[in-house]
Amino acid sequence: MAQEQTTLLQGTLDLLILKSLALEEMHGLGVARRVEQITGGTFQVKPGSLFPSLHRMEEEGWLSSSWGESENNRKAKYYKLTKTGRRQLETETERWQKIALAIGQALAT
Amino acid sequence: MPSASRIRSFFRNLLHRQAVEQQLDSEFISCLEMLRREKIATGMSPEEAGRVARIELGGEDQVKEKVREVRAGAWLQTVLQDLHFGLRMIRHNPGFSALVVLTLALGIGANTAIFSVVYGVLLRPLPYARGADLVVLHQYAHKLNLNDVPFSVKELEDYRQNHTLDGIVEYHSMSFLLLGQDSAERVQTGVVSNNFFTVLGVKPLLGRAFLPSDEMPNADAVLMLSYDYWQRHLGGDRNIVGRVFHMNDRPHTVIGVLPPIPQYPDENDVYMPTTGCPTRSSKAFIANRDSRMMSAFGRLKPGVKLATAQADLSTIALQLEQAYPKTYPKDYGYGLLASPLRQDLTRRARATLLVLLGAAGFVLLIACANVANLMLARVLKRERELAIRNALGASKARLVRQLLTETVLLSLAGGGLGLFVAPWAMQLLVKFAARFTTRAAEVRLDSHVLIFTFLISVISGVLFGIAPAFSSTHQLNDALKQAGNQSSTSRGGQRLRASLVVAQVMVSFMLLIGAGLMMRSIFTLESVDPGFRADRVLTMRLSPNFTRYNDNKKATALMQEVLRRVNALGGVESAAIASSFPFNPGGIVSGPNQNLVQVQGHSESGDAGAMVDTMNAGPGYFETLRQPLIAGRTFSDHDDDKAPTVAIINQTMAAHRFPNEDPIGKRISFDKGENWIQIVGIIGDAHEYGLAKTPEDSVYLPAYQAGFGSRLVMRTAVDPLSIAGTVRSTVHSIDPQIAIDQVNSIERLQQESVASPRTTTILLSIFALLALAISATGIAGVMALSISQRSHELGIRMALGQSRRSIVQMLLHQGLSLAAAGTILGIVGALALGRLLASLLFHTSASDGMTFVAVSLVFLSVAGVACLLPARRITLIDPSSALRQE
Repeated sequence: MAQEQTTLLQGTLDLLILKSLALEEMHGLGVARRVEQITGGTFQVKPGSLFPSLHRMEEEGWLSSSWGESENNRKAKYYKLTKTGRRQLETETERWQKIALAIGQALAT
Repeated sequence: MPSASRIRSFFRNLLHRQAVEQQLDSEFISCLEMLRREKIATGMSPEEAGRVARIELGGEDQVKEKVREVRAGAWLQTVLQDLHFGLRMIRHNPGFSALVVLTLALGIGANTAIFSVVYGVLLRPLPYARGADLVVLHQYAHKLNLNDVPFSVKELEDYRQNHTLDGIVEYHSMSFLLLGQDSAERVQTGVVSNNFFTVLGVKPLLGRAFLPSDEMPNADAVLMLSYDYWQRHLGGDRNIVGRVFHMNDRPHTVIGVLPPIPQYPDENDVYMPTTGCPTRSSKAFIANRDSRMMSAFGRLKPGVKLATAQADLSTIALQLEQAYPKTYPKDYGYGLLASPLRQDLTRRARATLLVLLGAAGFVLLIACANVANLMLARVLKRERELAIRNALGASKARLVRQLLTETVLLSLAGGGLGLFVAPWAMQLLVKFAARFTTRAAEVRLDSHVLIFTFLISVISGVLFGIAPAFSSTHQLNDALKQAGNQSSTSRGGQRLRASLVVAQVMVSFMLLIGAGLMMRSIFTLESVDPGFRADRVLTMRLSPNFTRYNDNKKATALMQEVLRRVNALGGVESAAIASSFPFNPGGIVSGPNQNLVQVQGHSESGDAGAMVDTMNAGPGYFETLRQPLIAGRTFSDHDDDKAPTVAIINQTMAAHRFPNEDPIGKRISFDKGENWIQIVGIIGDAHEYGLAKTPEDSVYLPAYQAGFGSRLVMRTAVDPLSIAGTVRSTVHSIDPQIAIDQVNSIERLQQESVASPRTTTILLSIFALLALAISATGIAGVMALSISQRSHELGIRMALGQSRRSIVQMLLHQGLSLAAAGTILGIVGALALGRLLASLLFHTSASDGMTFVAVSLVFLSVAGVACLLPARRITLIDPSSALRQE
């Protein structure tokens, strides 16, 4: 039971990160802020889970990274979706919609 | 299945660890800085902003650790860290580490050496093509106690009619004179059917193997050389094929050279087809179903099971029994047994090697138990370190893994060092194993042995690491609560160490019993009276060219001339000719020959009791050996082919065949009454075939009546081997074409005959002493530790007035009760395992009471000393300081 919960949550975080990177490349803090923004503040992403996720997804080949200048001229590591990452975003979205639909139906009865 | 990108990351993380870490650092710093600016932008002071940013980011090290954990190859990093830390711990305790590595090097080295021999001899596939399909055929007659009767040509022809074997190969070995340009050399010759090498699947190194045409009645005589003979005697000449030698008065052409493989059934110098052997190719020999000389083996047809072949061959045996009732009477219990060649080759070595492997394994176990005890003591000192690491976030599993990494590192170092010990021990062992089997030549340190060494090293490391690792992580929380430097004496740890000592004592006790039994057995064996005086007797084999001495008269004249000249030599007291002599190595291998004898006037029994050993002895033979005459007379110069045929029997036969009458004057026959031989004397029993073999019924026939005796036996006034050269030149002055070999003294041969049980005993004793020493240090170690841990309690006891003497007694009692418990378990174990040793023991019971009592006494005394040595430390305890500690 506990295991399923964490995988679900981790999957959710992955999906949110992918989604927030779909439009433009961003550094870690930016991703955290974007997730907060697009979920209307429901999800507060802590660096303790954000950075391991970013690094894991980069190693999986979903994200690529490069060093660039931040808005206030600081060196920052920028993350960008790769082709695989985009495909992953699609599958994850589909999967999520299926789950959401199923759970919605289940709760409606 | 990891993705390609993940695999790339794995290598990047592994190879560019520093760069990856640096990037992680920079990412954090930049993130922190951005957070700080965010906070400043909301109006916080720079200091406040920095603090809040840090809090929001969370513990930097913990987050970084989490990132590291998700990285590809994180497990490998952990292992590398463990290794790194383990190596550091080993370096920081060089004395302890060296002790552990040395102990293990001895244990693992001994096991590696013995395993390499066991593997080479018992386990490695035979070096012949599909070696597992080769089977040896044994003719037996159960009722006569015969289980390996040679085959006659007729019998081989019959068994070749089977349906389950791909050809039956025949073999016998003879020694012939190989005449070169100006030399006469005795060569051991394997006489084989032409399919010998084809069935074994051996391809010649040079030239060709035998063909069916080489075995035709009028074929040219051909030879194949063994690799060894070609190298040693012909200098490895690559143009040897085609060279012609003279043998048995015929030119023999070399057609090929064999590769360097262990030969079966024996090591031979050269090989020839059956048509080359004068005995084997004679018409009379071929026609006579009773002329048995050859051994036989074959190859199972593909897919045929041994049991199927056995049934097939037994059917033929049954048909023979029915067709020739005279040759195979019903009450002989005649039959044929097919057994795997590998089993046959190594039968004699198996028990000894397995006992030694078991003993070596026990020594390693004891060593592991000892090292485990040392580790336990050391882990106790590190309990606080481990507890702190646990509190800082290292999981217990991680700590166990860390400790096991350390122990496996230590034992791999031990194994590595053991590999340097092993070859030295192997050399000795190979010589030893060669006494049992020709396969000893195949023993070497190869990949299988290296894998074995690696595995036992890892297993040892886990074995001696597992107990300390778990006992230490068991009570980590207690350790932190302990005040001061005094670490706890956990009850569980104490009990574990005690049981390790009991187990050590038990196993080493069993080894000591094994060694004790072997010692007792070898003493018994060596104190057997051989039945003659073995000191100062020189023997050698003479092989004249028989085409020059082709009748009895010429042969007798030669023997007499040799004796006359040798007797005239200064150092020779007396000399005689015989066909064999006691402890003759060839005789020990083949055992007594079995001849059916009939006594005139006695009913024919035809059972095992009717078999006697026969040997030819010339005049002066019994006098030379000092074999005592019991009744009648010995042979004289007059017992030649003009005189009536006579025989001398040994005491055993006199008692066995003539229990209530005087055998002198009675007549016996070896050919069912065609010729009768009169018994003229009874001679004392001699152990012809080794001290372990009880003398059987023996008949001695005069050498001058029985043809040539090839052994010259001399009692000398001086060191026998010192005059061998003089004797040799004296014989050559009569005829330089007499080949002389197998020069040795009977005393040396007697020692040689007990060399293998003696070596087994020595090896077992070394193992047992090693085990005893290791266990003794184990007991002493546990006692010392227990004293240092209880010094506080002991101090209080002393302060309260208990005398040192009674404290020592208390500790001694504690230590000895461990030893006693181990001894009792050891006795039970030794009784249970004794059966395995029984086959190696001579006239000694595996539960020999005296050995058990003696070994127990020795063991308990050593244990007592081991307990007392550390007890000296008690005098160092100061009662007042013990009290102040509180």
